Amino acid sequence: MSSRKSLIKIKPKSYKDGEIVKVSFMVMHPMETGMRKDKKTKEVIPAKYINSVKFDYNGKVITTMNVWESLSTNPVFTTYMKVNGEGKLSVTFSDSTGEVHEKSIKIKPKG
Amino acid sequence: MQRRDFFKQLGAVAAVAAISPAISFADEAKKLSGPNDLSYKAAVDAITGGKGAEESSKVNLKVPEIAENGAVVPVTVEVESPMTDSDYVKSIHILATKNANTRCIDVHLTPSNGKAMFATRIKLGGTQDVATVVALSDGTFLTATQNVKVTIGGCG
Repeated sequence: MSSRKSLIKIKPKSYKDGEIVKVSFMVMHPMETGMRKDKKTKEVIPAKYINSVKFDYNGKVITTMNVWESLSTNPVFTTYMKVNGEGKLSVTFSDSTGEVHEKSIKIKPKG
Repeated sequence: MQRRDFFKQLGAVAAVAAISPAISFADEAKKLSGPNDLSYKAAVDAITGGKGAEESSKVNLKVPEIAENGAVVPVTVEVESPMTDSDYVKSIHILATKNANTRCIDVHLTPSNGKAMFATRIKLGGTQDVATVVALSDGTFLTATQNVKVTIGGCG
């Protein structure tokens, strides 16, 4: 586990049960391809990129992703989700160096 | 604003002219020693299992036609689908045809997504086609392609 900064955003902010909402997951990650060189030392910067992401809602997997190095630095993953009762949405990712990170928020439908 | 745009274009043209020989040489070297070298056709074959994908208007691929910065290119893929248990979009694949590694991301969706849409930001090494391959639950594959002009490359 690391102290990497990440964020889960849900649009719209207040939603009802059964509504389809937009979910964005943002994370501060360098996404190094392993092909770039340091301009000062001329050494190749080792590859470090996210290779899998998982969206989990109340213990049920809704979306999984296989990722390669050509995603931008500090990537954003946006998709939709059907709200199905109160619970927890958690996003887990792992990167090519074996780092694992998890972020979760509470889902609270109104009315 | 017009004056500013003119200078911007002038600068871009000069920069491309100065860098282009170096870039083509670097690309040759990368082709030979790319770590994850998979051509566009090979990638499509790997995804579809050799079946090939069909062009369709159901797939809506949104990419800017001109990307000033290749390091951050927003990509949105939307697919017309009811997303029910019997008929839904299984996966969305985003491919950059001329990057060292063609495959950018595979997204595996389920009916509980409610809507078949995915958006992210990718890196592009230069002017090229961005493609998407969509796998449906009935075993067919759809595709959409769009050319993107990149003024400053984002890889390497």
